[in-house]
Amino acid sequence: MKHLKSFNKKAKMLDQATSQNEVEEVVAMQSVVGCTSTNDPGWEVDPFGGLGSLCQPMESDLYGCADACWWPAQVPDTMSNYPEWSQDVAKANEDWRKLDGIFPENDQ
Amino acid sequence: MNNNKSKRALLGGSALALLGAIAAPTTVSAMDGASVLQEKCLICHTRTGDPEAPYSRISQQRKTPEGWHMTINRMQRLNGLVISPQEKQAVIQYLADTQGLAPSETAPYRYVLEQQPNVVEQDIDPAYVEMCARCHSSARFGLQRRTEAEWKLHVNTHMAINPTTELHALARDRSWYDIALNDTAPKLAKDFNFHDAAWKKWQAAPKPELAGRWSVAGFLPEQGDYSATLTITPTSNNRFELTLDGHFVDGTALKGSGKAKLYAGYEWRAQLNVNGTKMRQVMAASEDGQQLTGRMYQVGRDEMGGEINAHVGTAIAGVSPAAIKQGAVQEITIMGSELKGNVSLGRGVSVEKVLTRDNDRIVVLARAQKNATVGARDVRVGQSRDQQALAVYDQVARVAVVPAESIARVGGNGGLVPKVQSTYRAQAFSAGPDGKAGTADDLNLGYMPANWSVAPFNETAEHDKDTKYAGSIDQQGIFTPGDAGLNPERKFSTNNLGNLKVVASMGEGDEQVSGDAHLLVTVPVYIKRAVQ
Repeated sequence: MKHLKSFNKKAKMLDQATSQNEVEEVVAMQSVVGCTSTNDPGWEVDPFGGLGSLCQPMESDLYGCADACWWPAQVPDTMSNYPEWSQDVAKANEDWRKLDGIFPENDQ
Repeated sequence: MNNNKSKRALLGGSALALLGAIAAPTTVSAMDGASVLQEKCLICHTRTGDPEAPYSRISQQRKTPEGWHMTINRMQRLNGLVISPQEKQAVIQYLADTQGLAPSETAPYRYVLEQQPNVVEQDIDPAYVEMCARCHSSARFGLQRRTEAEWKLHVNTHMAINPTTELHALARDRSWYDIALNDTAPKLAKDFNFHDAAWKKWQAAPKPELAGRWSVAGFLPEQGDYSATLTITPTSNNRFELTLDGHFVDGTALKGSGKAKLYAGYEWRAQLNVNGTKMRQVMAASEDGQQLTGRMYQVGRDEMGGEINAHVGTAIAGVSPAAIKQGAVQEITIMGSELKGNVSLGRGVSVEKVLTRDNDRIVVLARAQKNATVGARDVRVGQSRDQQALAVYDQVARVAVVPAESIARVGGNGGLVPKVQSTYRAQAFSAGPDGKAGTADDLNLGYMPANWSVAPFNETAEHDKDTKYAGSIDQQGIFTPGDAGLNPERKFSTNNLGNLKVVASMGEGDEQVSGDAHLLVTVPVYIKRAVQ
């Protein structure tokens, strides 16, 4: 890392974390139950416990980030479980209102 | 199929009484689920020939009813299982009863079953955080018991269904599969042992008798504290009707009725209508049958709920508010059931007047002497006593906002996924004997009303005007997040996310005391499991 210079905000955050030898602590951070923070970046919480390193606006590159199976506990994976989840939503940044949640145990 | 239907028909109404004379109801229910399992599951699963574990991949696991429900859903989704809702219920009941978890095994993880929001799990073994709990809660695996061979097959199931697991951070940079198979699976088998004696002991133990009247106290974010009588009436084996009849702390009547199921002899799951709102109860009966404890929350808005505690018989269930300032005159509500007799609020606190009196609720005007000793005292109504239920304090020295870490999720705005709100309560403390706030001897004064506001959590949040876009909080401590979708007003049209402090303030001028909690207003979640 010492031969690399951080260029943007996210890189500076990473640089700061590594320079403080806090990588392990940051990566293994526990967040609120139901959230994932470690899948570079997390879905709803970043590895620093904030929002700055998330994909935002999330609709703009949802499929590029989530497909086919990147946050399977938070976003339906189209690889195995829900191949048709986003079938009718070609552009999430335009048609995000059509994306539905999957809450299968609600019928219990 | 037809056979099963006719068995269920026999269970209805007065037929149950006749049936009860010739066969134990448990046998009928268990047989029903067992026969559906054989008919539906053994199309793919095989007989092992081992009478102790007769079916492949099924008999080597124990789970909660929610866990079995999730498994059957996955079988429908991925493996072509065709099963009716009634058959599904029968199998869930059968498996939760015969391959379930003991009360002691679910005790550490009730929050997940109760859909409690904003829980941060503490002290989880780093080996599990890095392997499992970075996507799931630790309750997800903590609420399962499997043999080592079965845990290993579970690793392979992940590889088959979600192969990208191996590519994530904390996976791609090490031999993830080898570690999962050779280190984590044996560790899980040891820590969450299929053969744990707790389950056999619980299966042999007498089960709590739930029919009857219970004294209930609870809290709901929009209405506050309440007390009620819960009446439970059995309708068939492991099935009940219930009514809830009581008052919220402001005097509004609370009326509820619905149906409940009981799994594994203690897992209470009810669906009911409370004052026109559909709600769920997830409670556990104590092993001695004296208490039901858990959470009641709105269907489809899990975050809008709170704790509910039911006790057998007559008792004071709670006092609200739980503190009075030296020299103050204020209303105090005592909640419980069959509250009969004189009210006593302890030394230095007198009852000026009884303002309202019901079976489950007494509202009094109380006066604390100026020189009343600071500290907690017992509250009595007739023969009933609630220990250390009311505190006298000199001044509020510290405010803690609960929960300390929280998330809300943007939603709505014409989309299909609703907003997820977050709710807060302000817990007050006086300084205690050492006169210093924030030390171990602080006196807990319970939850109190507060002035609520939000503030930027850090400089970035201030610069990005998160408080303008991410949502707002009302004076009940309920935060409503902003709308879902791209916001062209924000840089890069980013979402209405925000990194905020939730601030609760009490008192005025020099006596004002504030506390805060961390709130991340974040993106919607598109998958939600019964066990996250």
